[in-house]
Amino acid sequence: MRQALRLLGYGWALHFKILSRSAFDGFLGVLWPLFFATIAFFMFRTGGNSSALLYTSLGASVMGVWSSTSVAASSALQRERWAGMLELLAAAPVHFSLILMPITLAMSTVGIYSMTATLLWGRLLFGIQLHVQHLLLFALAIPVAILSIGMLGFLLSVTVVRYRTAWALGNALEYPVWLVCGFLVPLSLFPGWVRPISWALAPTWGIRAIREAALGGSPLPDLLVCAAIGLGYAAAGMLLVDTVLRSARSRATLSLT
Amino acid sequence: MSYGLRVFFVGGLMSYRALFNWLSPWILIPSFLVAPLFQILLFTYVGRAAGLESDRFYVIGNAIQYAAIPCLFAMGNTIGGERWQQTLPLILGTPAPRIPLFLGRALPVVGNGFVVAAVALVVGSAILGVRVPLGAVAPIALATAVSALSCTGLGLVNAALGLRVREVAVLSNVIFGVLLVFCGVNVAVGDLPGWMQPISNALPLTHGIEAARRLADGVAFGGVTGLLGTELAIGAAYMALGYGLLRFFETMSRRHATLERA
Amino acid sequence: MAVVEAVDLRRTYKTSTGLFRRRSLEVEAVRGVSFEIAEGELFGLLGPNGAGKTTTIKMLITLLIPTSGEARVLGYDVVKDAREVRKRIGYVFGGDRGLYERLPGIDNLRYFAELYGVPPREQRARIDELLELVGLKGREKEKVEGYSKGMRQRLHIARGLLHDPPVLFLDEPTIGVDPVGARELRGTIASLAQAGKTVLLTTHYMFEADALCDRIAVIAKGEIVAEGTPRDLKALVTEGTVVEIETFDAPGDAADRLRRLPGVMSVAVEDREQAQVLVVQSEATGTTTQQLLVALGDVQVGRVSAREPTLEDAYVSLVTRK
Repeated sequence: MRQALRLLGYGWALHFKILSRSAFDGFLGVLWPLFFATIAFFMFRTGGNSSALLYTSLGASVMGVWSSTSVAASSALQRERWAGMLELLAAAPVHFSLILMPITLAMSTVGIYSMTATLLWGRLLFGIQLHVQHLLLFALAIPVAILSIGMLGFLLSVTVVRYRTAWALGNALEYPVWLVCGFLVPLSLFPGWVRPISWALAPTWGIRAIREAALGGSPLPDLLVCAAIGLGYAAAGMLLVDTVLRSARSRATLSLT
Repeated sequence: MSYGLRVFFVGGLMSYRALFNWLSPWILIPSFLVAPLFQILLFTYVGRAAGLESDRFYVIGNAIQYAAIPCLFAMGNTIGGERWQQTLPLILGTPAPRIPLFLGRALPVVGNGFVVAAVALVVGSAILGVRVPLGAVAPIALATAVSALSCTGLGLVNAALGLRVREVAVLSNVIFGVLLVFCGVNVAVGDLPGWMQPISNALPLTHGIEAARRLADGVAFGGVTGLLGTELAIGAAYMALGYGLLRFFETMSRRHATLERA
Repeated sequence: MAVVEAVDLRRTYKTSTGLFRRRSLEVEAVRGVSFEIAEGELFGLLGPNGAGKTTTIKMLITLLIPTSGEARVLGYDVVKDAREVRKRIGYVFGGDRGLYERLPGIDNLRYFAELYGVPPREQRARIDELLELVGLKGREKEKVEGYSKGMRQRLHIARGLLHDPPVLFLDEPTIGVDPVGARELRGTIASLAQAGKTVLLTTHYMFEADALCDRIAVIAKGEIVAEGTPRDLKALVTEGTVVEIETFDAPGDAADRLRRLPGVMSVAVEDREQAQVLVVQSEATGTTTQQLLVALGDVQVGRVSAREPTLEDAYVSLVTRK
């Protein structure tokens, strides 16, 4: 058990280091959500709805966390295969999820750069002041949201591994999650049948927790639901990993040759 | 003359198929059908929350803006792809006339952009219950086509620059974001800060989107010809700029062997 | 007890062609391979590209599930007890890939040390020791993207040894490495075997197998065509002769005519510019050069030379036999 935790921690740190060293990923990862956040801010400001700005800004800051996870996670295994790493990792005597989880968790953690940038951007260009009601819970909600998104990425990476063009699927999931999890708008605007979908997704709860911690409310239940769903993703992913790997060993798809 | 035409049509289409390797349904459907629809939905809901414009405003704006994805990426692929496969020096070594050679590659891209925007418009309108006067359908299609054409011009510039830049995808994504913010896609140009407006007017899509919106509002075709003309002119300017850059790089590469380097 | 046992291993690949009308083809890459490796042996699997060496080794290291047959490493079944097998083996392959480029060599090693459960307290000492062994001391803090091919190979070997496995699988470890670097690598491999490790080495360099291995199995088209010590393999051929006959415009069946002669083991045809050379291997008490020339009849013949067979001839004849 201790070794498993060590491995998770070490792997996460290692991949975070690798990702942080890529200027391309970093620059675009920070800039991309800023375009969307900017437009949203403009829309609310022009509409004269300034009180919505902080609400939006908090959700918008998490957009980058999902962006940096969705495409990268869906193509994670494909990339490892191209790098010749997949077979090496599969040959190691540990459960493969202990290797893959840190990869997607690192991807979502890198989103912290974009989170900071978006909040700063909102502050500097639109005068959106960040007031936080429950500081401790706010500080807790952020990592919980980030990690649960990382777990969603983990599940995604295992689910789509059969598709060579999985990156396109991950790419296509960027907007839907932004929409349905209420990153920019309250869920009350959506037709009723959308709610269950939103509620099944961890980011919805993570953002609610962040908002309630900042704007006032009860973030703790949201936080717990977010964490629980995140753990659910982890469990589902771990079960799938065994099936996927066995299939890969049978169909000889662990390597390119 | 027919040599030039063949280079234009046949060569253009073949290189499109060869290099634009997004042509699998597993990529096309998520990237060209699903994504633009969700962009429309996303901003329509933000618009509803902000209480600014009608749903139709956002459907038209986002559908047409999304043409930028094929216009930028497909163009970048067909030109940049030559460099990766190292067929570029071979092609430049032929006596094929340059204008049809480079512009031939642009034609399928324009088609691609048009189709993506048109489908997004139709499906988005259907989902959100947005209506458009029947007589305006054809003119709006025209406005969409003109916008796709002019955006392809920008795509050509992007592709040319992409030959010299290491990370082409970053550039394309940044341009997409700029278009999203500046072209009056979700915020009317008039509502943007003053310093942004000249930039908006110098970019493709701005006038085309405006024209399509007016047509949807019931303005007669005659009332938007000015806008469409401007859009065409902007597109032509970018095409010319892109073409010029490609020729420039071709000359540079003959002197310094730069285009072969991956 | 044999350390590595392969019993009638088979592996078939299904590939599909075409976009709309998918047709699947079955390729039998490994067709009934069996061998045993004793403790401390350096065993070579020698064969040309596409012979099935890599497929075989991947089945043994649990990365591929055999279509049929069994394999055991240290008594553990490679399919049922995969995890137990993985704990006890090291796997090194040739080529550029398999390392995190943006990280320094030492970080790559630390990661795999974690993966293989090397106790944290021992990691540092072990890594140091291995860097010394493979000659990368002093370069470990540089990013892998700057390493030469030989350095990457050495890092791979270090990685394979981190958890001090009793069994090592090396898949074409010197491929693409310059001669000097390759020689050093071979020295390292030899010393590993001398230290008591059991090593399975695949290669298509016959001289490498000859120099390093205690025993060699020659594999071609998915089957083992010969097995024995290097000396045994050479003995397959030293009692014969090789006659090289230069011919001009020989008809297609010329080689076949020679093959039908008693005592002729194989005839290989080499195309030169203006001529062809028929390389005829025959047993010692087989046909004489005179008889070969008579069998060729009125085919125009140029230079004829006879010589002793080399291990390379043995290898070529083994792998090109029908």
